Formats: sequence, structure tokens, C-alpha cells
Amino acid sequence: MRLIAILFLLLFVAAGIVFGALNADLVPFDLGFARLSLPRGGAMLAAVLVGWILGGITAWLGTSLSHRRRRRRERDGSKVGNATTA
Amino acid sequence: MNPIWLLALVPPLAFACGWWLARRNIARRSGDRVNELSSDYFRGLNYLLNEEQDKALEVFLRLAEYNRDTVETHLALGNLFRKRGEVDRAIRLHQHLVSRQGLSDEMKTVALLELGEDYMRAGLLDRAETLFSDLVAMDALAPSALRHLIAIYQHEREWHKAIDHARRLEAMTGEDESPMIAQFYCELAEQSRQHGARTEARDYIREAFVCQRDCVRAHMIAGRLSSEDGEIEQAIASYEAAIAADIAFVPEILPPLLNCYARSQQMDRAESFLREIMERYHGISPVLALTRLYEGRDGERTAIDFLTGQLRKRPSVRGLMALIDATMDKVSGEARENYLILRDLTRKLLEGQAMYRCSRCGFGAKAHHWQCPSCKSWGTVRPIHGVANE
Repeated sequence: MRLIAILFLLLFVAAGIVFGALNADLVPFDLGFARLSLPRGGAMLAAVLVGWILGGITAWLGTSLSHRRRRRRERDGSKVGNATTA
Repeated sequence: MNPIWLLALVPPLAFACGWWLARRNIARRSGDRVNELSSDYFRGLNYLLNEEQDKALEVFLRLAEYNRDTVETHLALGNLFRKRGEVDRAIRLHQHLVSRQGLSDEMKTVALLELGEDYMRAGLLDRAETLFSDLVAMDALAPSALRHLIAIYQHEREWHKAIDHARRLEAMTGEDESPMIAQFYCELAEQSRQHGARTEARDYIREAFVCQRDCVRAHMIAGRLSSEDGEIEQAIASYEAAIAADIAFVPEILPPLLNCYARSQQMDRAESFLREIMERYHGISPVLALTRLYEGRDGERTAIDFLTGQLRKRPSVRGLMALIDATMDKVSGEARENYLILRDLTRKLLEGQAMYRCSRCGFGAKAHHWQCPSCKSWGTVRPIHGVANE
């Protein structure tokens, strides 16, 4: 399973390199506060990477916050339970 | 459509992929999928351990509600219902489990066993017997089913069946059940003795000795049989053998043994036997027996002196009461009044005392039982040694 995953990863890296080489011409970008020129393929791959990372961070933040909320609720509940049994 | 707009979809797609993968990874790491279920299980378990059965019941009911496939939860619920005395609910639940489609054979057997226990608890012994017999025939959970069957036969006093099943259990598990089987033979011997079938009773006693060579109860029944048949020497030998087998039963054995000594006019032999017992046994029964013997043979003064001396060595309320009774006639006036108060007090103290206790479950009893009325184990009820008891 791990071998297949590594093979896929290598395949995608190779595809990325080929994609970058085929789209090497510079594309101007106007960000409002700055203007930059990046290779078309590189910009595309960077956009994918940034989207992926942002998605991961959003999911992690959402889950950890909900976990924290639940734990706090359970802790409060057990405190009430202890108080009533005492 | 311009392919550049299609490419604009790539970053949001990458975002969605990253989000989904991260969620999956986090969930797998923290065990989120099973968390809801297992946290409820552990909460229920915690309540059970804290003897808070009501709360445990609530948690397990909720668990069974949103996960109808959880057989273990249903079994735990059924157990709880039974323990709380709601046997009808336990029966319904286990019946539902047994009739459920697609349940594995193993789980179905467990549910059947539980259902049998429900029937036993509800007093439906015939139904429980049929169920357990079927389980034994199927060879499924047979040791547990056999144990329950033995309990049923004990309750119904069907000793022959109890013996058969105990032997099967012995063969199946390799555990030694012979002390219990010996007790079953003793029960049969007692029954035969009461019905006047003396030869049969002796046969059963022989069987009991085959199972357990030093069976105190068998020795005692043999002694009683011999005593009733006028074979005093043999009766004395049986009673002495019973004391040799287990000295803890001295309070039970001494009265019939002393009666045999008296009938055969061997009071000197009785004295030497009691003296010998006193060295090995530290209860008050042999002292009181010797006191009575001295009172009859050597007079009251010797008996009182002996009892006073012994009470210094082994303080006992029963001994004190015997001393008060013996010296009551010698005092008068205010001292006699005080003696009477003291006698009433000691009598009341003894009235509230359990003389026997089960070494297995701690059940206290005033009379001796061969089978503990509480935990149903055999030969575990023994005399209590203490100042207010033996």
C-alpha cells in the first residue's frame, strides 16, 4: 500500500515538473499592492499547494475547536455530577 | 468555455481535498468514530462499578437506542434488568435477542444462557431446566449451563440428577467437584434415614466417603445411624472420626457424642477425650461439656472451680452465663438481684449473636446449615470463634 502511494507521489511530482517545463513562460500578476511575473506552471502548482494547505488548516482548526468545546462541556458536567453526589 | 476558467476551479478543489483529507486523518488519530460509542460504554461501566445502576441503565438504554446492532449492550441491559428485579423486562429483551435474525451462533448461545438465568430468577425452573438442558445437549457454554442445572436440581432436591450433572461437569472442566457430590450423597443418606431405609442410607454414606474420604457430615450421619441402631461403640468411633476430620465442628458433634458416652457409661473416656480436645480446640464447647460432666460426677464445687479457671484462659459469654447459672443459688439479697440482671444481659447478648458464619459470603446464622442459604456453597458455614460466640 505504501509502495503504491510512493509511486503515485512520484508520478504526480514528475507530472508537476513536466507541467512546469511546458508552461515556463512568464505571466504577469497584479495583486493590487504589487505586480509580479511568475512562470505559468509554477503559479498553477503554487495555487494548488496553497489551496491544499489552507483546506488542511481549516479542517484542523474546526475539529480541534469543537473537541475543546466538548471537553469543556464534559468537564463542567462531571463537576456538577460530583457536586450532586457529594 | 475558456480553459483558463476551468483552471480557476483547481485551487478550490485543492482546498476541498486538503480539508477532507485532514478531517479524515484527525478523526482516525483521535478515534473519533468510536469515541461516541466507547465513551458511553465507559460511562455506563463507571456507573456500574460505582453501584449507580439507575444511571448505568439510562446510558445503556440510550446506547441500545441509537445502535440497535449492539448485542453486548442488550446483554448488559438484560443483566441490569435482572439484577434490579425487573425479570419480565430482562426476559423480553433476551427473547428478542434470541429471535433476532442474523445473530451469530455464539451470541445466540450467550443470550439463551442469560434467558435461562432470567427464568431461574423468575422461579420458572422448568423452563430454565429445558433451556439449560438444550444448551448442554448442543455442547454450547455447557459448563455454565451444567452449573445452573445443578443449582436447579439442588433447589428441587433432585439429588440423583444433581450428582449426574456434577460428574459431567467434573469430566468437562477437570475441576474437582467431589466435596459437593459427597454432600449430595449425604442429603440422600439423610432422606433415606428419615424414611427408615437404613441400608440404603449406609450405601449413600459409603458413596459419600468414596467422593470425600474425610467427609465430616458423612461421619456424623453414620454416627447417628449407629446410635439409633444401638451400636454405641461404632457411633462413638464415627463421631470421633468426624472431629478428627474437622475440629471446627466440635460444637455440632459434642452433644450426640457425649450422649453416646453416657449411654455406654464411659464417662472417664469422655473426660479424657474432652481434655484432649481442649488442647487442640480453643472454643468454649468442650469446657462447658467437661463442667457438666464434673458437676454430675464430682459435685458443683469442682465444676465451678474448673469453669472459673478455664474462663480466665478463654473468656466467653456462654461460659460466663454457665458460671452465673451455677453460682446463682449461692448468693442472696442485693448480690442475687445483680446476678439476675447480669444473667438477663448475657442472655440478650447471646440472643442477637450469629453463631455460624459462611466463610465464602459472610452470611451469619444462628443454626448450622450444610449449604449456605445465601451463596449456596456447601460446607462453608462454620462456627464463629469469639468472646460472644464459640
